[in-house]
Amino acid sequence: MTSASASPPVSQTSPPGLAHGRGIRLPSSVLGVLGIVGFLATWELVVRSGLVEAEYLPAASTVVREMVEMAGTSEFWAALGRTVRTWAIGLAIAASAAVVIGLVIGPSRFLRRATHSTIEFLRPIPSVALIPLAVLLYGTSMQATLLLVVYAAFWQVLIQVLYGVGDVDPVASDTARSFRLGGLARIRYLTWPTALPYVMTGLRLGAAVALILTVTGELVIGGGGIGTEIALAQSGGAVPQMYALVVVAGLIGVVVNLVARVVERRALHWHVSVRREAL
Amino acid sequence: MRRITKVATAAAALTLLAACGGGGDDDTSGGGPDDVKVGVIPIVDTAPIWLGKEKGFFDDEDINLEIVTTTGGAAAVPGVVSGDFDFAFGNVVSLMVGAEQGLPLQFVTNGTSSAGVDPDFGAVLVPEDSPIQSPADLAGKTVSVNNLKNIGDTTIRAAIEKDGGDPEDVKFVEVPFPDAPAALTKKQVDAIWVLEPFMSAALADGARVVTYNYLDMSPKLDIAGYFTTKQYIGENEDLVERFTRAMNKSLEYAGENDDEVRDIVGTYTKIDEPTRAKMVLPVFRPEFDEPSMEQLGAAAVEFGTLEDEPDLDALLP
Repeated sequence: MTSASASPPVSQTSPPGLAHGRGIRLPSSVLGVLGIVGFLATWELVVRSGLVEAEYLPAASTVVREMVEMAGTSEFWAALGRTVRTWAIGLAIAASAAVVIGLVIGPSRFLRRATHSTIEFLRPIPSVALIPLAVLLYGTSMQATLLLVVYAAFWQVLIQVLYGVGDVDPVASDTARSFRLGGLARIRYLTWPTALPYVMTGLRLGAAVALILTVTGELVIGGGGIGTEIALAQSGGAVPQMYALVVVAGLIGVVVNLVARVVERRALHWHVSVRREAL
Repeated sequence: MRRITKVATAAAALTLLAACGGGGDDDTSGGGPDDVKVGVIPIVDTAPIWLGKEKGFFDDEDINLEIVTTTGGAAAVPGVVSGDFDFAFGNVVSLMVGAEQGLPLQFVTNGTSSAGVDPDFGAVLVPEDSPIQSPADLAGKTVSVNNLKNIGDTTIRAAIEKDGGDPEDVKFVEVPFPDAPAALTKKQVDAIWVLEPFMSAALADGARVVTYNYLDMSPKLDIAGYFTTKQYIGENEDLVERFTRAMNKSLEYAGENDDEVRDIVGTYTKIDEPTRAKMVLPVFRPEFDEPSMEQLGAAAVEFGTLEDEPDLDALLP
């Protein structure tokens, strides 16, 4: 397949093995940066051309300038720290609870059937609908936001753990039985290694969901953090600052995803999917 | 394998830590000052309490004041009822509705009142070229308010009726104050109801005032105050008295010092300096005006926000 783009001048000494009929191969980090630059340029153009009024959506350059200014204030870093802390604690609670419960329910057919309908009933309940309950229980403290975060992230991880536990190879399972492995040994040498790739996927999904709910909780309930700062900027009519904070929330999401991928590769360095990537 | 065990142990430890860190009770027994937690919305209306804290009026009463900002008014009533806040800032109609639902709430001091003269700090606005000239013209039109079945739509309906229009024939939609000026520019609604600083912003964009709905009801209209539960008042008589004294002193001081109010607003909101310098301020005064509150209660009943006339004796300090 030849690429449809006008082929840029490629050096004639391209190494063998890369000649798959593509123009040039850029490392993904460069492509990522290009994507961001393209997005910012589009945004700038949309505002400058008057498609939307700058009053309601400031130009990208204005927002970036605002971000640089914000980075010089201690309040911003305090808010950022608060958001990251709430996210981390929430994800840790949700993930550890989901792993433990998943390992208990997963191997037992009886428990799986007994809990299946309950899980399917509770899982789609939007966390945001629990805000009034959270405020009643914990006021406007960090715990109220944590309740939302834990609730949302817990199901993401639990479902993956249950799939993972269900994926145990029956031959391996029979082998473990004939070797008379005890309960803990079974989990350690059989269930856990099988479920780990699923758990990591669950963690990555849960990490993103936890971040969304952290910012949402701070925005609606209050109690400090990037979300509360967004609400404050909004209620004070500080539009550029509001967008700067929204972009910051997006950047946290990018970092969270990168970290989750690194953790995944580290934890699964022995697993076939990662080994194939790392060739 | 060992690393994973470590991670799991750390996660479990975090879980325990988080579980232990919950629900601190702030009972101060002994000789120190009393901790008081007040929930407020970070808007111009709550300037007096911030100013009073800065001026030391609460320290003078041996109160260690913690102001907690809630992003919406929705957290105020549950916060007080659950005991998370000792007091909170809430608007009069919200409290009338709460009392009707059987919540034992009571104001301890006033909070914000209509500016009492033209211009007030909130208004119904239309685009410059709109055919709407007076409140009666709003009949058959769509008007945005920040909350349905609250002080905004109740006072606007009353203004339409006073002007000879049909108060039932108007459609209210919920649009938050910050988004309302854009909704008006985009002609998504026929008119908007906004308070400062968004009123100034919309006027600068070429909007026109149809009416100041608070002023239409009464130049002395009280809009919001600081409240708590009757139970709390019964259990902490002395503290409530001291808080009331400090709060009233703050209201008086804020009422007399406009410039300091404009300055303090900059510390807890993100309203920029030029806007703060020119925005219309509400009136801050300690005493409630009962006749105007009776009017408001009657209007709330007439337009279906309330079932029965509110019991003001139970609601007011």
